[in-house]
Amino acid sequence: MSPPPAPQPQTTAIVLVAAATDEGTAAALLRWEETTILRRLLDQLATLAIARVHVLTRPGFADAVDAELAAFTGVPAELHVTADVAADLREIADVAAHRGDTAPGTLVIVNGDVVTHREALAGLLADPRVTTGVLSTGGRTGRPFTFRIRSRRGRVVGAGSPYHYCHHTTGGFLGVLKIAPSERRLVATACEELAPLVADPPASWLEELEHKEIRWRLSLARTQLLEGDDAPRGPHDGEAGLPRVDPSESIDVAVLDAVELPEERLAELRRRLAAGREDASALVLVGMVRAGAPIGNSYLRELFWARPLSEADVAHAREEILLYDEDKVLLDSAVKGTDGFFTTFFVSPYSRYIARWAARHGLTPNQVTTFSLFLGILSAAAFATGERWGLIAGAVLLQLAFTFDCVDGQLARYTRQFSKLGAWLDSVFDRAKEYVVFAGLAIGASRTGDPVWVLAGCALMLQTIRHTFDFSFAAAAHQTISATQPPPVAQSWDSLSKPPHPLAPRPAGAATRAPDGEPLPLARRAAAGALATWRALDRLGPTIWLKRIVAFPIGERFAAISITAAIWSAHTTFVVLLAWGGFAGLYALAGRLLRSIAR
Amino acid sequence: MSALATYRDDGPLAALLGRLGAAIPLWPAALVTIGLLPAAVVVALEGDGASEGLAAACAAWLVVLGGLSRGRPLDDPLRWMVPSLLRLGEYGTIIWLCAIAGGAAPAGAFALLAVAAFRQYDLVYRLRTRGATPPPWTAAVSLGWEGRIVLTWILLAADLLPGGLYVAAGILAVVLAGESIHSWTSSLRVDAPAVYEDEEDEAA
Repeated sequence: MSPPPAPQPQTTAIVLVAAATDEGTAAALLRWEETTILRRLLDQLATLAIARVHVLTRPGFADAVDAELAAFTGVPAELHVTADVAADLREIADVAAHRGDTAPGTLVIVNGDVVTHREALAGLLADPRVTTGVLSTGGRTGRPFTFRIRSRRGRVVGAGSPYHYCHHTTGGFLGVLKIAPSERRLVATACEELAPLVADPPASWLEELEHKEIRWRLSLARTQLLEGDDAPRGPHDGEAGLPRVDPSESIDVAVLDAVELPEERLAELRRRLAAGREDASALVLVGMVRAGAPIGNSYLRELFWARPLSEADVAHAREEILLYDEDKVLLDSAVKGTDGFFTTFFVSPYSRYIARWAARHGLTPNQVTTFSLFLGILSAAAFATGERWGLIAGAVLLQLAFTFDCVDGQLARYTRQFSKLGAWLDSVFDRAKEYVVFAGLAIGASRTGDPVWVLAGCALMLQTIRHTFDFSFAAAAHQTISATQPPPVAQSWDSLSKPPHPLAPRPAGAATRAPDGEPLPLARRAAAGALATWRALDRLGPTIWLKRIVAFPIGERFAAISITAAIWSAHTTFVVLLAWGGFAGLYALAGRLLRSIAR
Repeated sequence: MSALATYRDDGPLAALLGRLGAAIPLWPAALVTIGLLPAAVVVALEGDGASEGLAAACAAWLVVLGGLSRGRPLDDPLRWMVPSLLRLGEYGTIIWLCAIAGGAAPAGAFALLAVAAFRQYDLVYRLRTRGATPPPWTAAVSLGWEGRIVLTWILLAADLLPGGLYVAAGILAVVLAGESIHSWTSSLRVDAPAVYEDEEDEAA
């Protein structure tokens, strides 16, 4: 007899139905077409391999939510009635600790009133590379009814909640949290620690809540002041929304006094405060961050997302979401935003359609990767002839190989076929292609009596060194992040010192002083100044592209190889690769040295 | 072992020297830079016209200093420079020794460097995609950065360039690629990296 099959780990979702409308009903139960926001979300989750749902709701909403769940047959759903956020946290701790669950799987925590595309949820929930992570949005602009987060190198290292201040925010947490089985214990512990604190908040937590209200009110006042009554219902989250208010920026008290907010905005402020105080998901995230859990990001990209907490917001969201062409957004966002100039403007505009064609014909990214390497080897063979026709054929083949090199990644992102082997193959084959082409060029040159093996070796050396700098700098940064001990959850702020009152004037010359008020040494001040200039250059539109061209990324390198080899010779190719690559290497090295010294 | 220590790609000789280097009060990046200096000066002054003995002395100095740096902790602000400086030392010295030998020797250098590059990229990408490192025996077999310098010098002294390098590169290519394929086909349970970071290398 064969042993019984081991139970498959199943993904469990916790759906939070706590935010209320102005009328005191559950916001998640607002009507959405023929159904409700909650049902829409549950239907989406059911298609994303969620095996079990726990719905947490308040006593006042329990009957209505229960009736809603009775009509939902997608996956087994269990209702838990929780009196407040502290009770939410205790329930989450209970589910996370998987008592009675034989094979704990991934745990998903999601706000029940979130309206977004299935693809946005899939981007987080169905991506095997992000084992623990959040659905988030980048940039300085916030979203209403969300709290802000700070990410470094793809990892969430700071998070805000109604009671927690997050400094130097880089994005917003969109109310969807995915927790790997290995982190469930940590989440349970964090929630158990948070629950009594939420039930009886420490003074610093209450102070931060007050400050949040002031910042939100200020943001609304600024919008009112700048835009008047016709101000669009724009995304302003009060911490860095539209118009931008940096939490650390000093704010003129007069703005707050001068502006009288219309009733509609005051209602929004009240909703915001109420929803914020009911937001257990933000607190769980803060608890995880402060416990040092590794948390990744899955970005919303250009997809739609909202938390409509009133009838008017729902109507607005329904109008908005119709304007989105999901397939186009997916295809567009399959193109990496960090690609170089040549790739972005000369390859991606058409390679994305090859990617879609490949997706419709069932090709896998790994097949495309292998085909690209095959083309690269053909290109090297053509270069190895040393004849003019061979150099031209090699140049064309190399460009074809590069096109398919872009297609494989875009296909993987478009169809979400990510695999560890795929990532490894893609990277290793990229390097193999480049160095095989070097060898082909050098063989061809030797056949025509111009041995360039030393130059070829130097080109290989330079490229490997440049990559190694990238890898090592990233590894050192990760090491620094992991070694940084986050403050305990009981502390409301996560900066070095307590943030000033939002209405306090900012002290002058703060940038040239260390946190303890001592002036910084001259060398570090000079490095910080140079670094600021370097970063300011980064933010200028056209300079971004100039800088990316100077950095000599793969698209530019392959284009340079093709053009120089086809027109001139292998010798020219290697000289150009060494000159351009050498300059790029020194430029990057200078920036990193400055960053290391200024730290 | 930290990622940076893995990226060093040390062989058995560097591991041995590292035990002696633990007490030297210098950052590892400084030790490797001092190790690179004589070779840099001689290459600048004499290029491929340098004598074999002088080149051998420069290579030996680099191997000793780079090996000693293995014993120093990688916790200073410039620790990220160490693996690249070691690549510069390894690749540069091997190309230089083969340029001194002249003839077809530089083609042999390219072959050995291509295999070394495969080994070093595999170290990085395996760690990034799976959080795994190749088994320790591969470090011994592939000799490490310092072992490949010594091997090239021995082949130069024995007048076996470039044939010896082709043989060494061929054997290493088969063994390392074989181990890579084996690791991907045999391990059903692979560890995930802590946080996946989409490749954002400036030079990708």
